[in-house]
Amino acid sequence: MSQAQKRILMAKTGLDGHWRGPTIVARALRDAGFEVIMIGMANTDDIVSAAVDEDVDLVGLNIGGHIDVAKRAIALVQATRPELPIFAGGTIPPHAAKDLEALGVEVYPPGSQLSDIVDAAERLTGRK
Amino acid sequence: MTEDLPAQISALLARCGEGDRLALARLLSLLEREPAAEGFIRTQLDSTPANSAFVIGFTGAPGAGKSSLINALLPEACQSGAKVAVLAVDPSSPVSGGALLGDRVRMQGHSQGANVFIRSMASRGENGGLTRTTETALRLLAHGGWDQILVETLGIGQVELDIVNLATTVVVVLTPGWGDSFQANKAGLTEVGDVFVINKADKEGLNQTRVDLQDSLSLLTSTIAPVIAETVATTGQGIAELWQTICSHTSAMTDAGLIGQRRSLRQSKLMEKSLLRHLESQLKELLASETGKSVLSDIARGKISLEEAYRKLVAKL
Amino acid sequence: MAEKSPPKAAFAASGIELKTFYTESDIPKAHRARMNLAPGDAPYQRGFHPAGYRSKPWRIFQLSGFGKPEDENERIKFLLKNGETGFIMEHDRNTADHCYNVDHPDVVARREDVGLTGAVMQSVRDTAICMDGLPIDTSFGHAGGAVVQHAPFALAAYWTVAKQRGFDLAKIAGTGQSDFNLTYLGCVTKEQIPTQAGLRFNADIIEFCDQYLPRWVPVSIAGYNAADTGLTPDQELGVLFANAVEYLDEIKRRGNIDVRSAAKACGGVSFRASIQIIEEACKMRAARLMWSDLLRQRYDITDPKIANLRIHCVTAGSKMTYQQPLNNIVRGTLMALGAVFGGVQSLGVSGYDEALSIPSEHAHQMSVRIQQIIQEETGIAHVTDPLGGSYYIETLTAQLAEKAWQFFEEIQGQGGYLAALDSGWLHSKASDNQYKEFMDTESGEQKIIGVNCFRDDESPFHVDGFMGTDDAFDVATSRLQDVLRTRHETAAASALKQLEADCKGEVNIMPAMMQAMDAEVTLGEIGNVFRQVYGNWNTPIQT
Repeated sequence: MSQAQKRILMAKTGLDGHWRGPTIVARALRDAGFEVIMIGMANTDDIVSAAVDEDVDLVGLNIGGHIDVAKRAIALVQATRPELPIFAGGTIPPHAAKDLEALGVEVYPPGSQLSDIVDAAERLTGRK
Repeated sequence: MTEDLPAQISALLARCGEGDRLALARLLSLLEREPAAEGFIRTQLDSTPANSAFVIGFTGAPGAGKSSLINALLPEACQSGAKVAVLAVDPSSPVSGGALLGDRVRMQGHSQGANVFIRSMASRGENGGLTRTTETALRLLAHGGWDQILVETLGIGQVELDIVNLATTVVVVLTPGWGDSFQANKAGLTEVGDVFVINKADKEGLNQTRVDLQDSLSLLTSTIAPVIAETVATTGQGIAELWQTICSHTSAMTDAGLIGQRRSLRQSKLMEKSLLRHLESQLKELLASETGKSVLSDIARGKISLEEAYRKLVAKL
Repeated sequence: MAEKSPPKAAFAASGIELKTFYTESDIPKAHRARMNLAPGDAPYQRGFHPAGYRSKPWRIFQLSGFGKPEDENERIKFLLKNGETGFIMEHDRNTADHCYNVDHPDVVARREDVGLTGAVMQSVRDTAICMDGLPIDTSFGHAGGAVVQHAPFALAAYWTVAKQRGFDLAKIAGTGQSDFNLTYLGCVTKEQIPTQAGLRFNADIIEFCDQYLPRWVPVSIAGYNAADTGLTPDQELGVLFANAVEYLDEIKRRGNIDVRSAAKACGGVSFRASIQIIEEACKMRAARLMWSDLLRQRYDITDPKIANLRIHCVTAGSKMTYQQPLNNIVRGTLMALGAVFGGVQSLGVSGYDEALSIPSEHAHQMSVRIQQIIQEETGIAHVTDPLGGSYYIETLTAQLAEKAWQFFEEIQGQGGYLAALDSGWLHSKASDNQYKEFMDTESGEQKIIGVNCFRDDESPFHVDGFMGTDDAFDVATSRLQDVLRTRHETAAASALKQLEADCKGEVNIMPAMMQAMDAEVTLGEIGNVFRQVYGNWNTPIQT
């Protein structure tokens, strides 16, 4: 358990510009004391290079479509930094949520409590 | 972990020196996170041959387009095959200690390039526009082979100007219409900028802003005269020219042997300013204190002379 | 113990405080004077026409599309067969929003998402497939082109296909979208032409339609995305009319066509219909009031054919829950009811699976059934403005209009609608509201059934996401290669050049766009021209 500053990468795997959900989550995480590096709509390479160069403690993905797109990013992140936890939110239908959980990704669909997401961030980054 | 810190740092520095990005990233994290790390890093770096790097600082108010400008400059900077690092500093929330670090997103096209390394940092309570460990971070980047380092920092006032001490060339970014309430003189930005960029130059008010800026700059005496550039970062207009201007300035500084000299001069000036600010606030405190208020009221009631009052107050400072 | 505590304060979504009950004296005097008019009489808050839905039911108009153009064609035909009375051809957003072809690296990186929320249409050939056998002349078609930089292509492709099939453009009815609130406020894309260029496009479209497609609504001035991104009902009203003013002022400035024609053409606007249904009904009434006042005061227009606002509505997608999705059928019905009480001319109901995916066939059918049941079984359609005269309705209508005008003035104070977008002022308003709304749900202050309370679900039906088809990308890729290989290359190159020249100049870009469609120029090529000529909008927020 550590009280050190933790850094979270937030990225969107889809190419649609909705920004309401990710903004609220980023703000809540900031208010909980996290440093949130937001890279918006990002390709797999963008996500991985940010995860490496920024040496983040947690990756948060907003997924708005097929998880196949997100899966590529997840696979590369897990190959490059296997210890790095990942959680995801967005329009993720139940069958897709199961697939993601099988990969070790925690899923927070629409309607999830912000406090649950913040708690998850604290747990996954080792702050609590 | 802490007991093995120097060994860990040594191993990471070795890998970093060979170009391992993950090692560099780890070192930057250690530097930020472990109070003891900075000392070990600096000691170990001191004993390795130093890589030189040119540091270009970008400062200016929020919304001026600093990130977009840096994004537009990256291809220019990389053209010669140089390895370019960007250090983007944003303020931490004084309430929660957290931060939203959103500069990187505007540099998206380049983040995966082998020749570009982008790192976001939160100020974590520092007031000068940078972080506590920026100088060491710059040395780490240089050690990792990053020749050119662009540092992005928020700067609108007298306080946020630490970049001056670290950058070879300071670029101040503003936008048209900023001249309407042109506080630059008071803010001290005119005195520290080497290149002034009027970004979003397609907006109304360009001419007036340029004129205001020229007027302000004409009041200064500098060894190398500051230059004004105009850009539209989102279309690329003026970008190539701006990069040339920056490079020219950096060369001129090097040729004239001015880098170290100017840094010392600026540092002493800033020290002067800091001291003056400190004295000002002390004075305000004094006048607001019980002693101060009583002395002032005595003057008003004619109970003591001005000379006596003066001596009383000066003794307190 | 028997002492009752006073009832808690209650507020409409717009922040207006609600009394526990209303009487005649609550209705503002000025409003009382105009309350008792007939629907169809200025200032029109009672409705578009005295006989209302008895003379013409509202259009059942569902957002639809996914996959290959033929998949979308099939879904549209399904909806028409099931009773929708207009059709919407949504384009794949990965390609359309950014004007990319499928071979753009950012699209290739997301190939499985291609065709997820609309059909891929990269050239007039694709549009032709999508429009195959559709009742272009007898129904009311929405050509797609939700995003501003995409609209000229979407419209020109639709009209070109219609022309090629022998339809007289002067006679076809339908609508474009080219939605500023979607493009620049709600769904900020990675790359987009700046707002000023967007305004130019929309004014060009308005002027082109004035000349060649008098029955076509050129652009849809829409509040849905403003509302779903966080603006309150009064703000949605204010921002919509600020948007309208930007278009009409531009038309006036250009002096090419009569602003009255433009106002008439654009007088079919679009609102969100959310779940506080009485307020939403009042919002529609206030909208008609405001349009009439705006036209009279600012443009000296009083012609009833112009000042009488027509409204399309879409129920709030953001109110559909992920949890217990069948509850959303109820939500959709209630929101539809609010819109119907508001006297709208056209309505789309979100699918009950909205929070999971695009609508499955069943969810889509349900959206149509909801509207049909209201139309046929409830008797509501027999009487126009059924809530008119209610003390509450009239008071809230007047209060909403007043509050909305205040927001409209605030926007003018920011330099106008475009300036308020460029600076991020509107985004910050939306953001503050979003946050508050979220906190209300988070704290439980605002109960959402099934989400933050009553979470047990007894439903025997498991609802999962509908993921469209999975060959959209591959087929689109090969079709792109086909068109590039088999089209008349000289004609295409020349048309593209002309388009570029017209974009750089001050002429209307639509004729060149029509020509480009004939010559089978592709979407990505057009997008490249736009990016090159106009550069990228400097987004005030990151997305």
